[in-house]
Amino acid sequence: MRSVDVIIVGASLAAAAAAKRLVDAGLETVILERQELPRHKICSGILSPRGYRFLIENFGPLPKKALHDPTWCRGVTFHFPCLIPMPMDFFGGTTPHLHRKYSDYWAIKRSAAEVMDKTSLVGLDDQGTRVVVTARQQSGETIKMAARYVIGADGPSSAVRKAIYPEYTKQIPWFFVGQKFHEIIDCPLDEEYFHFWFHPELGHYTWSHARDGRQIVGVGFKQGDNFNQRHLHVTAYLEEKHGVKLKPADPDHEGCAENFGPSLINKYIFGKDNVLLTGQSTGFLNMIGEGMSCALHSGAIAGESIVESICRNQPVQTVYRQMISSEVRRTTDQWNPLMIAFGRPHEADFPKALMALSRQDRIKVLKDIWRFLLLYKEFRWGRQLAYSSLQRILRGKYLSQRWL
Amino acid sequence: MPPCPVAPDALQGIPRQQTNPARWQGENWNEFVSTLQADNIDVIEDRGTRGIYSTDAGGLAYGMPNGVIIARDAQQISTLLRNAQRYHIPVTVRGGGLTTEGESVAFGGVLLDMTGMSRVLHIDKDTLTVRTEAGIFWHSLAEELRRHNFDYLSAPLNLTSSVGGTLGVGGIDVNSAKLGCSADQALCLQVVTPTGDIIECSDEQNAELFQRVILGYGQFGIITEATLKIRPFTPMRMHYFYYRSLRSAINDLILLDQNGVPDYSGILTMMDKAVTLLIAFDSAEREKTFFEQWHKQLHGYGELGFGIRLASYYALHPWRLNELFFLLRRKHTLFPDLQPAQHMRNGEIIDRTVVFSRAVWKHWGHKNMVIPDLATSVDKFIDAVEKGNAVCKHYFPRYTLYCVGIKLRAEHKAHYELSSIPHDAKDFSYGCEFEPILEENNYSRDYLQSFKNAIYDIGVDMDTSYYRFGGMMKAYIRRALGDEVVEKHLALKRIADPAMILNRNVIF
Repeated sequence: MRSVDVIIVGASLAAAAAAKRLVDAGLETVILERQELPRHKICSGILSPRGYRFLIENFGPLPKKALHDPTWCRGVTFHFPCLIPMPMDFFGGTTPHLHRKYSDYWAIKRSAAEVMDKTSLVGLDDQGTRVVVTARQQSGETIKMAARYVIGADGPSSAVRKAIYPEYTKQIPWFFVGQKFHEIIDCPLDEEYFHFWFHPELGHYTWSHARDGRQIVGVGFKQGDNFNQRHLHVTAYLEEKHGVKLKPADPDHEGCAENFGPSLINKYIFGKDNVLLTGQSTGFLNMIGEGMSCALHSGAIAGESIVESICRNQPVQTVYRQMISSEVRRTTDQWNPLMIAFGRPHEADFPKALMALSRQDRIKVLKDIWRFLLLYKEFRWGRQLAYSSLQRILRGKYLSQRWL
Repeated sequence: MPPCPVAPDALQGIPRQQTNPARWQGENWNEFVSTLQADNIDVIEDRGTRGIYSTDAGGLAYGMPNGVIIARDAQQISTLLRNAQRYHIPVTVRGGGLTTEGESVAFGGVLLDMTGMSRVLHIDKDTLTVRTEAGIFWHSLAEELRRHNFDYLSAPLNLTSSVGGTLGVGGIDVNSAKLGCSADQALCLQVVTPTGDIIECSDEQNAELFQRVILGYGQFGIITEATLKIRPFTPMRMHYFYYRSLRSAINDLILLDQNGVPDYSGILTMMDKAVTLLIAFDSAEREKTFFEQWHKQLHGYGELGFGIRLASYYALHPWRLNELFFLLRRKHTLFPDLQPAQHMRNGEIIDRTVVFSRAVWKHWGHKNMVIPDLATSVDKFIDAVEKGNAVCKHYFPRYTLYCVGIKLRAEHKAHYELSSIPHDAKDFSYGCEFEPILEENNYSRDYLQSFKNAIYDIGVDMDTSYYRFGGMMKAYIRRALGDEVVEKHLALKRIADPAMILNRNVIF
């Protein structure tokens, strides 16, 4: 049986970041990917400035192929039922509109780790000093490999997480997000911005932006609802209220399951013993659903933690949980109402944009936000959020005891 | 705004960037190694040896060289560089590896370990100079000089830095306000240029090369030998004064330095409300002059007076008592190490190199050496320190500031062109290091890097300078020095190093 230092499951941006740290430190690293690379990935592709900085710092300038058109995004525009738009530019300047199929593949290649694509994880056996990984290749062949550490960087529906915490999936609420692509007849929405709607009747997560000559209309809702109906409702709303005239959706629609809650209530899941979880499999997600910058940073920290753990002979989970705390603080701050009001945790200035409105408009917007938040009432996150926010003020951090 | 602000050919400057570049992909490596081996140059390729060099003292950038070469002599390095030019192989040079932004980390290519060249070649008692190989650590040089009752003029406090590496970046000592930075002590150098020529240079001979290599971040050649000024050895008489405010301690430091009062001077804080001014003297006469003429002008307290003031402060602020416990613990552990009995005689420190170097490693050493700094003119110094202090407070519960003056030499202006000496500094520059006390905590690399960049940003925003431990950082250099200076040196670099192989990504 082949034995390596680290196996990373998934060929995502989190995996690329972790692999970069591990390969740089001289550790033999193998990436297992279920699909054939380069693989398709559903994503808005609008990276935050912080994530962009990470890509440049660690992988160099982006190749043209890794970008959609428009190749960049200036900021975010919030929309409300009161129809008062709030455009906000990113602090860090324009950011790339990533073509995830090629950007992820480019980053993976730049990490210089060995890649085994068309290989699915079947099972894990943590034997204390090593983890035996069983995987199946598309050819049907089953392989076994041993590694000192395994990193799960395989997204919200993580197979690694399922292997170590089989019950976890049932314990959190799940959402579905899907996007459809439309030929444009007339679209007054500024294509330099990512557009997001705080509108309870449209759904939990509603967005739109331009891509490669078409307009994306995306909807997110609690799992179990009907994607087509939700989507039709949003396109009708956009036409009626914003004058967005689109042709019927093209057939290439896409969607996936999402875990919105853990970042909000500080209930992350970082793995067990020699198996580390990172990226969105842990629950990392910035506000308005940007997960790529968290994935890059948490992936890098997972890689760093393994390097530190080997160098210092410390348990990897202890090191990882100490090192990840800054990323937890940064991400959960984005959902913390006290931090939003006083701490500027986002990469665009929401309080400033809000204060720039007239008093009357501000009240309308705040009322609309409150109505939107009530949509989430059923998940009972309010008390936990208040508790986390208080801890943040009193102790300057979020409690690690709440993490799995 | 360019048509596509995120395309590779239109990359905009971003506020910060870590020097952690993508790995070199290994083209022509095997042919290159075969050629070197034919010339009897040993290229170490085993993973264990290469792993020793995977990071620097900063511990934030990691990279594995394809092979390691231990420096033996100038001829060997010349052959290495000629072939590296021919095969386009990156060469990263490492002395003590005390850079903090990955400058001495090889992200592929060759890692040249200069510590193989560490002999003292000649001590000239008449001209008070020493000729040494450049891979020697300062503590080894000090040891050799002491046998002849000599001392170097100034060296970095952390003495496991190499002479060659220090001359390339600066080197600040507690006597720099009197004698300048370590790079100012170099009289002439033997340099192997990036194309493999072995050249002797000084301000009189091949002056252009000398000026580029001194404080040149290893871009224009590898220093293989150096002739440095030396002086007769003297023990050191140390005194401490304590302050409640940074501002008044800095004012006193500047007052003393500008009047040439102490031989050694600096500020060390335990907290921003417990500030220590250290001053020391080479002779009893100068010490006496200080006490007769200058002592009363200082605003600092003695240990007892300061202790009483501190006690009354915490009596009125009992909720901050944990600060007092920290101060007492720190005093209890740190101060004995600054005056260890085995290195003292009649109240004088007789081995300052050992005392300071040990204290630095013991009390500020960590697996990550996080010591960003700011260098400013006298006028901007207090403002810069206060801004940096606020950044420290935001990031870490405990930290130390270390402030020191640097005397500038008008005749060395050409040496300083690419350096971190601020452009508006005259006669003196002042530097402050911001050193978090990390203890056993693990922080992510990005967190530590963010802190460092927040300090560097102060330097850029205040139109002053920052960072002496290895370079100016590639992503910052245009913001810090301006396009004109950078373009000039980049053009020179392209001529001197056509394949751009030597110390890539450090500043270019």
